[in-house]
Amino acid sequence: MTALDPVSFIRSTPPFDSLPQDLFDGAAKSLEVIYHPAGTKLVTVGEEPLKHLYVIRKGAVRLERAGQTLQVLEEGETFGYTSLITGKATLDGVVEEDLLAYRIPGQEFTRLLSDARFAGHFAAGLATRLESSLEHSPVATFRVDLLAPVETLVRRSAVWVDDTATVGDAARIMVTERVSSVLVRGEPPGIVTDRDFRMRVLAKGLGPETLVTRILSRPMKSVESSLPVHEAWAVLLEANVHHLPVMRDGEVLGVLTDTDLLKHTSQGPVAIQRLVEKLPDRGSLPGYSRKVTEMVASLLAGGLNPVVIAGFVAQLNDALMKRILHWAEADLGKPPVPYAWLALGSEGRQEQTLLTDQDNALVFADEGASSREYFTALADRANTDLSAAGFPRCPGGYMARNHCGTLSEWRDRFAGWVADPTAEGVLEAAIFFDFRSVAGSLDLAPLQEILDGIPRREAFLRSLVRQALDFRPPPLLLLRLRGGNDLDLKRQGIAPVVFLARCYGLAVGSQARGTLERLRAATRAGLMGPEASAAVIDSYRYLLGLRLRMQLKAIAEGKAPTNVISLSQVSGVERSRLKDSLRSIGSWQDKAAYRYQVS
Amino acid sequence: MFFSSPPWDLPVYWALDLETGGLDARQDPIISVGMVPIRAGVIQLGEAFSTLVRPEAGRPIKPESVRAHQLLAGDLRKSPPLRAVLLEVDRRLEGGVLLVHNQGIDLPFLKDGHARCGLPWKKPRVVDTVDLIVRAATRRRLFRPGGEEMPSLNLGEARRVHGLPDYQAHDALTDAVSTAELFLVLRHVIGAKRLRDLR
Repeated sequence: MTALDPVSFIRSTPPFDSLPQDLFDGAAKSLEVIYHPAGTKLVTVGEEPLKHLYVIRKGAVRLERAGQTLQVLEEGETFGYTSLITGKATLDGVVEEDLLAYRIPGQEFTRLLSDARFAGHFAAGLATRLESSLEHSPVATFRVDLLAPVETLVRRSAVWVDDTATVGDAARIMVTERVSSVLVRGEPPGIVTDRDFRMRVLAKGLGPETLVTRILSRPMKSVESSLPVHEAWAVLLEANVHHLPVMRDGEVLGVLTDTDLLKHTSQGPVAIQRLVEKLPDRGSLPGYSRKVTEMVASLLAGGLNPVVIAGFVAQLNDALMKRILHWAEADLGKPPVPYAWLALGSEGRQEQTLLTDQDNALVFADEGASSREYFTALADRANTDLSAAGFPRCPGGYMARNHCGTLSEWRDRFAGWVADPTAEGVLEAAIFFDFRSVAGSLDLAPLQEILDGIPRREAFLRSLVRQALDFRPPPLLLLRLRGGNDLDLKRQGIAPVVFLARCYGLAVGSQARGTLERLRAATRAGLMGPEASAAVIDSYRYLLGLRLRMQLKAIAEGKAPTNVISLSQVSGVERSRLKDSLRSIGSWQDKAAYRYQVS
Repeated sequence: MFFSSPPWDLPVYWALDLETGGLDARQDPIISVGMVPIRAGVIQLGEAFSTLVRPEAGRPIKPESVRAHQLLAGDLRKSPPLRAVLLEVDRRLEGGVLLVHNQGIDLPFLKDGHARCGLPWKKPRVVDTVDLIVRAATRRRLFRPGGEEMPSLNLGEARRVHGLPDYQAHDALTDAVSTAELFLVLRHVIGAKRLRDLR
């Protein structure tokens, strides 16, 4: 670690590293240093929100909701922005390891948000923290659609004053209505904001009797109500305004503030998706993997958790897949019968962050049995293009060019695995039962029906559980963690959760593919206790995050990313979290072994 | 009658560090000053004060000290004279507590400087992180008899022992900030509740 004084440290920490010098210098003037010993409660849900943006220099802070750890923040990580932006304390923050942190006051933070890159960084982080803060509450369905029309964000109608009003009148109305802007009637109408009071009234030495017409802005920069959220964000940034009237049929529907929009945006994935949809030809595929890696790195730095990031990556991969199949169809001609492109394994579960080996298959309608060659050729082209885009081919992987068949063939195969669970069959079932249709119009209900029948298939379930329990956290872990031992995060941590979650999800008849959804379904059905479930979910998230951080670091250093972590290289906090995580996974496996009578 | 001592975080502490042209306050010059305040337990970097000091006639910078602070006489010529700098220092210390790392060095330089410039030394209350290091170590020995040896009194070493990051040493302001941070940690370690617990 290089010796950096507070200002240099902040300057080198994202997102401060991308700020223009003058903006940064302004913020550095109000920099403060705090120290809190472990155990200090920094913020409590429902009480006073934080008033500063904090950057951790040394130590760690645990974010909790109802006693459950959501995130542990460490050196170089920031917190306090959900408090600052929402004006509420939505999470508990407790010092986990003696904390030395630098902080800037809320009003400085607000000023820095005028920088688009800086704001974008927090937009991404905010979404997850809000999401995680709501995750355990009844409104867990909270999800923001960036493509949703901007009018869905308008919460109230605009507040108006006449053009004869004075600045004093306008200020009083803004206080009573609790808004930060008013519209002024006229042709065209104008807008006055709290900023104008500062910049155009107070700073100019004007009094409250000044007419609003003297300080208003018109015509107003506005957006149409049907504009997608992410485009409204761009308008706001480009026009460098903080308030955006939303218009419908020439009438003002309401006024959005930058804070409203910031709560609902995260730019990276949207931009890449547009890019993918416009890819001109195969020649442009090779940069894809790097683009996704960069996006993942920036979303992770922005505070998004890996599960949410994986959701974005899956969207992008799906868009890419459609594009690739579109080219293949253009080469080979229209498909003779409907088909479906299946993503399997982690891609099927939408749990891929960095691109991994291809796992895919192709299913086509029975009427096309004589057109097998067409579909094999289609699959072959698609597999080749995926390799070019950065999904490696792998001898152990499943590729559509070798796994291409009619719906009946596939149904028989699925049914065979369930009816006669051989060791090899169960292994294949595990990968294929995570299937998800990514492209094509063929209805896959016949395949899903077989999965739906699994809850009654005791023997198959037991085999599936037995196979899942082949992957276990290392034994005697508690004694050996402090040595220089290596741990395979995938085989010894993540896979145990993914495999057993699949068993539990299928056992309760859940159609979900995602590991977390499966765990939640099993919990709702009473197969898992809520506490064990929460612990496993938390552990799984943590392990994914740890692996992703480690792999991104390897990539940044020009090394090949691996799943193996050396315990001597992780910090004390990481080690203890790792230990806790593996312990809760192990105890869940013990319960499963008992329940299904496998050992 | 007892005067009760204020809660520790009520007074304003000014962490101060001097870079000097040697170790002898009677011969060597003060060449730079760094100060940063702690208000209500929070270090206010925005209020930091630091300046170089114009060399005084007859007080050359010792070559061996240059190695540490890397300042040469030429760098200093355009800086304000000692008297102006000390007035700035005093203005800040007014009513506050002076926080230094090893008063045995900084205090003689401040006192002697004031005397040379014809300024009164107002004897501010002093808290010394070196004293606090010793007390923190004594306290640890109480709970774990026969334990460790004498703790290191070096600022950088002491910071490492107490889990603080490395900062570049031998810049007056950075050392003042380093001292201020170390103070916050040690205050907690020795469990000081009132100013008198720190002096």
